[in-house]
Amino acid sequence: MKMFRKHVGSISRISTQLQRGPPTVGSIAGLSTEAEAAPKQERVDEKITEFRTAITNPGGHSPLQIAKFYTIPAEEKKRIFGGGGLPKQYELQIKTFTEACLMVRSPALELLQYIKQADLSKPVVRYVLYGENGVGKSLTMAHVLHYGALHDFLLVHVPWAPNWMKRPKETANATGQEGFIDLPFDAAAWLVHFKTQNAQLLQKLQLKTSKDYVWSKRESTPTGSLLTELVEHGIARIKYASETIAAVISELKQLSTAGQCKVMVAIDGFNAFFHPETRIFSDNKQRVTPDRITLTQPFLNITNYDWTNGVCILSVDKIAMTEGYMESYMPRYLLGKDGFEHLDPFVPVHVDNYTDKEFTNYISYYVDRFWITKTAPDLEDQLKFMSNKNPYTLMQLVRGL
Amino acid sequence: MLKRALIYGKFRTNGIYGSFENGTRWSRLMSMYPPHYAEPIFKKDSQNMEKYELAKLSHVPIKAALNSSSDTIFNAELKQKMLAYIVKCGNSRLARELLTKTFEQIKRAQIERKHLVKQDNGHAICIDAEKLLIQAIENSRPLLQLSSIKRGGVKYQVPVPLTSKKSYFYAMKWILDAAKEKDRKISLSSKLAWEILDAAHGQGRVIKKKNDLHRLCENNRAYAHYRWS
Amino acid sequence: MALRVLGLNLIKNNINLLQNACRINATSTTQAPYCNQVTVHAAPAAVQKQKVSKAMKAYLERARENDEFMKTQDLDFQIGKRHLANMMGADPETFTQQDIDDAISYLFPSGLFDKRARPAMKSPDEVFPARKAAEFDETGRPFHSMFYTGKPNFFQLLHDIVEETNKLYDLEERMLRRGNKPDENQKIEMAGFQMLPKDQLEVKLVETIADIEYSNFVSSMERLIASPFSYKSKNFIERYLKPLIDQSKQLEVPKPKIDEQGRQYITTYECLRKTARADVTVRMPGTGKININGKDISYFDVEQCREQLLFPLQFSGLLGKVDVEANVAGGGSSGQSGAIRWGIAMSLRSFVDQEMIESMRLAGLLTRDYRRRERKKFGQEGARRKYTWKKR
Repeated sequence: MKMFRKHVGSISRISTQLQRGPPTVGSIAGLSTEAEAAPKQERVDEKITEFRTAITNPGGHSPLQIAKFYTIPAEEKKRIFGGGGLPKQYELQIKTFTEACLMVRSPALELLQYIKQADLSKPVVRYVLYGENGVGKSLTMAHVLHYGALHDFLLVHVPWAPNWMKRPKETANATGQEGFIDLPFDAAAWLVHFKTQNAQLLQKLQLKTSKDYVWSKRESTPTGSLLTELVEHGIARIKYASETIAAVISELKQLSTAGQCKVMVAIDGFNAFFHPETRIFSDNKQRVTPDRITLTQPFLNITNYDWTNGVCILSVDKIAMTEGYMESYMPRYLLGKDGFEHLDPFVPVHVDNYTDKEFTNYISYYVDRFWITKTAPDLEDQLKFMSNKNPYTLMQLVRGL
Repeated sequence: MLKRALIYGKFRTNGIYGSFENGTRWSRLMSMYPPHYAEPIFKKDSQNMEKYELAKLSHVPIKAALNSSSDTIFNAELKQKMLAYIVKCGNSRLARELLTKTFEQIKRAQIERKHLVKQDNGHAICIDAEKLLIQAIENSRPLLQLSSIKRGGVKYQVPVPLTSKKSYFYAMKWILDAAKEKDRKISLSSKLAWEILDAAHGQGRVIKKKNDLHRLCENNRAYAHYRWS
Repeated sequence: MALRVLGLNLIKNNINLLQNACRINATSTTQAPYCNQVTVHAAPAAVQKQKVSKAMKAYLERARENDEFMKTQDLDFQIGKRHLANMMGADPETFTQQDIDDAISYLFPSGLFDKRARPAMKSPDEVFPARKAAEFDETGRPFHSMFYTGKPNFFQLLHDIVEETNKLYDLEERMLRRGNKPDENQKIEMAGFQMLPKDQLEVKLVETIADIEYSNFVSSMERLIASPFSYKSKNFIERYLKPLIDQSKQLEVPKPKIDEQGRQYITTYECLRKTARADVTVRMPGTGKININGKDISYFDVEQCREQLLFPLQFSGLLGKVDVEANVAGGGSSGQSGAIRWGIAMSLRSFVDQEMIESMRLAGLLTRDYRRRERKKFGQEGARRKYTWKKR
């Protein structure tokens, strides 16, 4: 009963969230049904713990589950995040705690609500996650990605765009375009990641190309071949990987506009594509701007609003910038003029530090998983003070406890 | 003595900020507390002393608590001592980071073990990194050391008892040295974590070193009286 | 004749006399109780007719001169004081020493560092050192029975201590026989006192004492105090005890003010630590918010600095109950956080009871950390580090 009171307490927050989002009749009706369904859910939750929820499908998450943890099943986690997507420290944590648990937080729920209610026949809406360092943007994206994977979205997921700008495995001069730089290994790695994420769906949908792609005198991919073949071609022939990506992306745009599939684009650290410089050097030892890299083109292409039946989730981050100290975490500042014009109009989604309830639950989770071994009466207050309820800082602080 | 220890007087400022630069021209600035100042007792538990001792202290000025000491969950006595020995060139930030990472590694290793041994007795495995550190240090503390004493022209290795301060110092020093000795490519935090875990369970190089020392002392028992003769 | 009577010690005593000439000091008997008036006429008329040696004469002459000198000095001082009062436009009758000091520092401003080197006008008692009065009369006969020890006052004191101790022993024996026990409530509290330090004892006795002698004095006093009935000799003992200041009550705890929203607040200014300067405001009915130069606690990105801010709040138990606002400038992160920590601790005193204040003081939160960087010395590499010693 105590928990139910807590649920009822959070309904006031639900109303403010509803005011923010596009109001529809369905959601308000949903609220009343959720309130009725709460007692059933409550019993299920009680069986586990106060801070956990048994609903592993993000589609079933509602504001009642805010500040609770849900587990991502191991195979799904491997499939979706095999090529990245969860921060390194988080991966370590998953390994230590032997479970992949994500907390349900309000920015993620807001995004999910927008996606659920979106009219996919309209041009693609771009959602931009922004916030201070270490506040949970990547994990919010991971949550939404999980939802997309379970709801038949084709995932176009770039786990961390700045990796391509800062630490490319290898650079090569582009064959197709003059003065451009290729990142063969990174492109191939991305194709592998794409393939793993969408293997089942691609198999099911049997998407076909609509154009001829000629790679060289002897190699070409004819019209009507499966998309999977195109992808595999890119993986096998690393030299043409970047071009394959461009091809795949344009195909996806056409296919989704035609209505054959839904596409979810998720790019973390999108502002890396608009930073004035990268750490890649051209042949004449000069720094290259991101628009001279072949990999940026397709992803800029797909974040345009000239296609339908899809959803675009991007995040801008201070640490995505190659060099220098960024003063502000606001999208306009981080994207710069070009980036802002490219993305305009977009829906900004602010990700903030933990609320009190989320914080308490996170501490309980850590204690439950044996990560916090100290017991002090005001442990929570001290940690709250020290970390300022910032998720990353909390994680750092708790390492040594 | 050039290290003049003045009792601090009123500090003169022309304004609240910014005029201190004139003050630094005065050469007689205090860098040490006067000798009658007492050490602070910054842990609330340690302040539960007998009444008469507290009464003694009520008339004695107390030094300011150091920046590294506090009564929070982040501070522990032996941990601070360990930090002091890890610090190089005054870089205490790095030392703290290293020790935190060490504790992280210890915890991960112990939790892994705990999950493996879940069926038998999950309670026996201690995950508290601080407790393990204390245990490791206690286990590797030597009680005696050999000191070379010259009697009749011959230098003998005489077993001599150690003060507790010194024995704690040796324990921590040996653990750190053992951790620094290994492969340079592995970070200090990982090496230190393994050393601490080993020592806490009574195995490893540090325990071996301590046992060797004790064995030598035992062998040289015959010369023990040379301490006084 | 006098020479033969006194023997070889006379020469030594003459030297003593030169040092300890007498003077009239009718005004300040409390300062040096061992100074008495010159009793030139104290000797009976019969003795007066005896021949007085030259040395004796010279001594008495010198003593008289000194007395007159002091008188004139005193007179000069009083006149000067009245002149000064007139100059400053104040009432000469109620012109205190403090007023004199202020007037002199106004009329003769000095930039000299040592305060003792600056112009000052003090009473001749303070300027000229206290000296002993006549130790023997014109016949050469010393007044004090222990004159020939060379330090009569000191040894008289030791004698007194022993006498008191013996008295207390007898008392104890009598009480034991009667079956009475000493009264526990009246026991002398040594906690707030320390034995009179050596230099102050020297001033009191008007004699120089060796270290061994001082330690003898201390041990005899301690034995006296340790006796169960020592409270009977309380008056005697208290003369030689110096009260220590009670540290926690030394600084007055300010009262909180009330701001526009009706919250209590305290501001501590001039919070110093190394080169950092801060002023800290603590507001009482609060939610644990921190505001440093407009930013919240993320102003400090180092964990240790945040811990320092947490320390006084957590120690006093007011962690989520107060709001802290601080303006800080100068220094580095460690210095700034130390300054703010002190500021928070000092401000929290007003919201916390006396026991907790004492507790904070023992924890070292309320002491101003006035340590500054030690300068580098020539011939050394740093403040303490010496250059590597090379044998050749």
